[in-house]
Amino acid sequence: MPLASRRYEVADMMAAQEFYHSRGWTDGLPVVPPTDEAVEACLEWAGLPPAHLVGVEPVRARAVTAEKLAINAVMAGCLPMHFPVVVAAFTAMLQEPFLLHGATASTGGCAVLVVVNGPIAAEIGMDATFNALASSDRASTVVGRALRLCLINMMDVRPGAIDRSVLGHPGKISYCVAEDEAGSEWLPLAEERGMPVGASCVTVMAAGAPRQLMNEWTTVPEEILDTFASEIRANMRHYSIWPGNYAIVVPPQLRAHFHAAGWSKADVRAYVFEKARILRSEWADCGKGAVVRDRGGWEYSALSAAEDLLVIAAGGPAGGFGAVIPPWLGPKSRAVTVAIGACVDCEIP
Amino acid sequence: MPSAGIMTETFVSAAELMARVLGAEDYPFAVIEHPISSADQAALAARAERAAADCARLLLGADG
Repeated sequence: MPLASRRYEVADMMAAQEFYHSRGWTDGLPVVPPTDEAVEACLEWAGLPPAHLVGVEPVRARAVTAEKLAINAVMAGCLPMHFPVVVAAFTAMLQEPFLLHGATASTGGCAVLVVVNGPIAAEIGMDATFNALASSDRASTVVGRALRLCLINMMDVRPGAIDRSVLGHPGKISYCVAEDEAGSEWLPLAEERGMPVGASCVTVMAAGAPRQLMNEWTTVPEEILDTFASEIRANMRHYSIWPGNYAIVVPPQLRAHFHAAGWSKADVRAYVFEKARILRSEWADCGKGAVVRDRGGWEYSALSAAEDLLVIAAGGPAGGFGAVIPPWLGPKSRAVTVAIGACVDCEIP
Repeated sequence: MPSAGIMTETFVSAAELMARVLGAEDYPFAVIEHPISSADQAALAARAERAAADCARLLLGADG
């Protein structure tokens, strides 16, 4: 399998680390040297030739090949079985509605949240339970990190270069989670977003840091969701008032109350859609009175439609916690879902 | 199409980088003081006045 990328000779593993750090080719953590054998193994596993065009970054017209993705995936620690998830996620990120350039260059400092659905999650050892949003398992960590290294090395998304984040957040190291389909009675996220039943899929979202909440003093679905909606309203007051894709992560202890009451994800979305609203006048309560002007009575919804809320079942078994994950900046970037290992443009014979 | 870009001082390096990666190194643009969002009307007017003159030069050439 002929690879096109330039080769570099280094003395040993430690020399490789210093070489990569000195070139600005890592995120600050050590990397796995992308040898021909390791890169080829990823490409073979995914059934992709090195020159396969995964997509083109729309703003800068920069081509993304499977070989370059594989190199960065190996560097991030991916095994070949992880690579199809990386390819699918980057494919989704290159879709125009995701607005990759804006989402990765913005001062707002968002990260790419990846949600994995379908049988591949268990096949590659993803764990949707304990510590679901942070280093829950090897696969989740390396897949998320691979996307960041791809952005750094293929798109110049380095701090102070293309990446103009004022603060960023820890999800920019890795932000990948599987949905706990086995532990949930709800439809998987990807299926709700129109993907075939049982398909392995990824959903990407330009996402802020998770905002953790807690309410373990009720079993009433409406009251639980009032806590989620309140956290969304706080984000609208303190960060951005504009509607976009919000995600909520619902762990098992809270999920059980929804299942007992017969609430589907659609019911959850419909309730949050109605409750996650603020008046522009509320900005005056938090120091933003200068931009209220004569529009104080205007009502703003966090969601343009109930379907814009991504409801994700994930988390450890004990504790009435949950999380709201806000969008980067309103509707500028849209969440995108694609199937893993499927060509969405190909005609099935 | 004739065009003139305007950047705040803080984004000059970003604009230069984007110009370079898009194959338009040394693409000229007007520069104004940062930030915009918290500037009052008088400060905005001053920035606009400066930007207007610079944009006219960018659009019409050095001799106007």
